[in-house]
Amino acid sequence: MDDRRQRFEVLVLPHLDAAYRFARWLSRSPGDADDVVQEAVLRAFRGFDALRGSDVKAWLLTIVRNCHLTALKQRQRRAFVPLPEEHDAADGHAVIATTPDPESVSMLRDEQRTLDRLMSALPEEHREVLVLREIEEMDYREIAAVTNVPIGTVMSRLARARAALKARWQQESAREPHAVR
Amino acid sequence: MPCAESMRVQAYFDGEADAVAAADIERHIEGCAECRALLDDLNQLRTALRQELPYETAPPALRAHVLRALDAQRPTKWRLEPFWKGAFSGIGGMAIAASIAFFLLAPPLTNPLLDDLVNAHVRSLMPDHLIDVVSTDKHTVKPWFAGHADVSPVVADFAEQGYRLIGGRADYFDHQRAAVIVYQHGAHVINVFSWAANRDSVPKDATLNGYHMAFWKTGNLVYCAVSDTGWDELRRLVQLLQE
Repeated sequence: MDDRRQRFEVLVLPHLDAAYRFARWLSRSPGDADDVVQEAVLRAFRGFDALRGSDVKAWLLTIVRNCHLTALKQRQRRAFVPLPEEHDAADGHAVIATTPDPESVSMLRDEQRTLDRLMSALPEEHREVLVLREIEEMDYREIAAVTNVPIGTVMSRLARARAALKARWQQESAREPHAVR
Repeated sequence: MPCAESMRVQAYFDGEADAVAAADIERHIEGCAECRALLDDLNQLRTALRQELPYETAPPALRAHVLRALDAQRPTKWRLEPFWKGAFSGIGGMAIAASIAFFLLAPPLTNPLLDDLVNAHVRSLMPDHLIDVVSTDKHTVKPWFAGHADVSPVVADFAEQGYRLIGGRADYFDHQRAAVIVYQHGAHVINVFSWAANRDSVPKDATLNGYHMAFWKTGNLVYCAVSDTGWDELRRLVQLLQE
């Protein structure tokens, strides 16, 4: 048995879910996220010997982010403009049609979709710090490492991202009840 | 115009302020309505994001794909490696099969402790991580722990029975500095972790990714022996340590 491979599985693969989530938030497309994660894990495996310290998750997410940026550049070079991820028509109908779901469930779904959509609409540098802080629960130092900026920048981006998201969220919830029904 | 302290309030909210700064910020918040509102907003947004955004996990197909891609990366020169590399992880193919099965089939681990123990064990096998104090003498190893770990475990050498004491190490673990006693048994390394019991129950013996973990409790210390040896060899050491 290759013990390098085994160490990799024990130390790195437990963070595969986080890598996938992060890739999803960065690329906003499941297919692209799959590609990014696969490429990132292979890169991580090749560079595994260079891993120092115990911050494996931050290290893996840094690689995921780099792979995402590379893939993005390649797509742009090919002048291929990805269609924005639509919240599928099927889903939209489900909301309008009265389903047997209790009211609260569909309201929660609306809420999820609202926040999901508002997050997706944020600039990438705001979205990524929010995801790393609020979803992945990383500290400033780790976020600074993943996004490759100083801690001070992490703090100001977080503040701006939170303020922007909150403002849009409030607008949305003030408008929503009338718009939906 | 936001309050000049808003950045510090955010840092406090994110758990980034040390105790002194936190006390200072709390005093400020008491007297500043704007910062109280900010703190409420931060809390509300966090709660909403954590509750309402989908918390996705990697699809099984992706996981399987990744493992296959890793298999394809594996060097083919394994036959040329020196024999002791194989001995390092004695159960070879079984461990591969077990870990693949583990990642494909097992639900997420319910006990992070087991994860931590296996991680700590594997980390210890990396170059220069195994031992902090090299000694085959229990009278050297035990006092060393006094300054480096939060607990003082039983230290004994069982070279005659085939378990040679080769040293000790401190590991941060379960929110405390655990003491680790390192034994060598044939080609295998056995790490014996010990830490102060935080809860009443001692975990059940378990196997994770091919590593066996045997737990027991003596007084208020929990012990766990971790290794890739067979169960019998591991339990023999446990027996010796308990005597």
